[in-house]
Amino acid sequence: MSNLENNEKILKIFSNIRCLNRDQLPRYLDGRLTDVEKHLVEQHLVDCNLCFDALQVLQQQQYREKYQPLATSMQQYIRSSIKRISQVHKVERYQRQEQKKESFLIYFWVVAAIAIGAGVIYLVQQQVRLKSPVPKAIASNAELPPAQSENPPVQAAVVVPVHAEADPAPKTAPSTATAPAAPSVTPIKPLEKKDSLTAAVKPPATALVIPLKDSAKKLPPPPPKPVEAKETTRVATAHKDTPTVVKKTEDKPAPAKKEKADTPEKKPAAEASGTDEFLYKAAQVYHHQGDLNEAISRYKHLAEGSGKYGELSRYQLAVCYRSKGQTGKARRMFKEVVRMNGSMKDKAQAALDNL
Amino acid sequence: MLQQLTNLSDKELISRARKLKDQEAEGVLMERYSHLMVAVCLPYLNNGPATTPEEVYPALLQRLSASLRTQTIPKANEWIHYTIRAQQAQAEKNSPFFPSTESREQQQMENKVEKAATNLKEQQLLAATIESALGKLPAEEQYFLKEFYLHAKSFAELAATKNYTIEKTRQILQQAKQKMASLLMNETYE
Repeated sequence: MSNLENNEKILKIFSNIRCLNRDQLPRYLDGRLTDVEKHLVEQHLVDCNLCFDALQVLQQQQYREKYQPLATSMQQYIRSSIKRISQVHKVERYQRQEQKKESFLIYFWVVAAIAIGAGVIYLVQQQVRLKSPVPKAIASNAELPPAQSENPPVQAAVVVPVHAEADPAPKTAPSTATAPAAPSVTPIKPLEKKDSLTAAVKPPATALVIPLKDSAKKLPPPPPKPVEAKETTRVATAHKDTPTVVKKTEDKPAPAKKEKADTPEKKPAAEASGTDEFLYKAAQVYHHQGDLNEAISRYKHLAEGSGKYGELSRYQLAVCYRSKGQTGKARRMFKEVVRMNGSMKDKAQAALDNL
Repeated sequence: MLQQLTNLSDKELISRARKLKDQEAEGVLMERYSHLMVAVCLPYLNNGPATTPEEVYPALLQRLSASLRTQTIPKANEWIHYTIRAQQAQAEKNSPFFPSTESREQQQMENKVEKAATNLKEQQLLAATIESALGKLPAEEQYFLKEFYLHAKSFAELAATKNYTIEKTRQILQQAKQKMASLLMNETYE
């Protein structure tokens, strides 16, 4: 214990003690400090010239009288300047806080406006993208019914000449034949014709259906329904048309038979051009949607034929090959189009040059 | 805020005043030593031109404020005392304040003692070195230091034993302490 106490006392030599405060200064002068306090003050006085000089001055009575009011006024002067500073600081701090709040709000609303604007633009773009393939599909579908509707008029047109041709024939036939014989023939004929109708309808219907079926086989699976609808409409029209055709052909079988032979040939030709157009447009739709494989299969089918759609489909096929990166095939196709010397020759040549 | 600042040490207040440009901290520091400034300046008031209290004290505060921003201040009391003396010498420009070698050595010893406060072994070691350094001092200085610190005698009692004035007693103690600090710092560097 004595060692510890001794150590503590020795270490006191270099202990750091604070300067005398306002209260301690006069109390030390007056001798109103305790022994411990006094010793601590004196330990500090060994090193502190400021405190020692102050004590030396205040020990003189003349300066002791002046000291208290001056010390008080000095303290008040410093405190008032601090107050002013603190008030100014408070105002500045408040202003800074308000400015920060305002700037934060401004930044927030700017960012929010940008985000809303970007979101609106994105939504509008999405809507535009969704709408753009639909009108194309609608356009392609809208073109198909007119193509379909062309077929019946074609058929009607085909049939009408038959009617027109057949009509003069029956007119001429009764004029040459006896008048009473014609009416008698006509009632019997409907009865007979009923039987013959069924027999006659079937072959032409089958004749018509067979080429239709062949064309349907040539067509790919996706548009089977419209083909089927076409078949039904064509069969229906055939049903409608064939009785009238059959009636008139019995009166004049020879020219009617020839016309029958012509009409089936004309009907398939008209139907073939309609299907080519439909197929071409379907291929274009797939092409626009990005389904190159489906488009290529349709273009290939059309490219086998000649004519307008053959050339167009060859050109589009070459474009599809180019999009897929099959430049060799694309080049061959473009050369074919150039050789065909059609409307797409220049475009094909330009594409070849670019390849 | 002011209440919080009054609890800070001198070092912390000086740091705040310099780095954060906290004028409130500067004010608190000045107020802490204002009574000592007033006392030390009293003999020099009304002695010549511009020596009224209304001129002297604000001028002193301004000098201190200017010096605070640029000077390295290890001890506030030394710095204030130096500035007061410079003002009383009517030096127009603020000459820079540099702590003396003795002051720095003493401060280093004080820091060592403060660090060793939590460690008993270090305390014992330090006490032993201080004691050995004490033994190397002249007899009178040794006596004064031992009597003052180990036997807790006052200035008056010490002065009475040797028939010295209190100023001389204090001076002897101050010199003895400075010598001891110098011895101890030189020993550590050796």
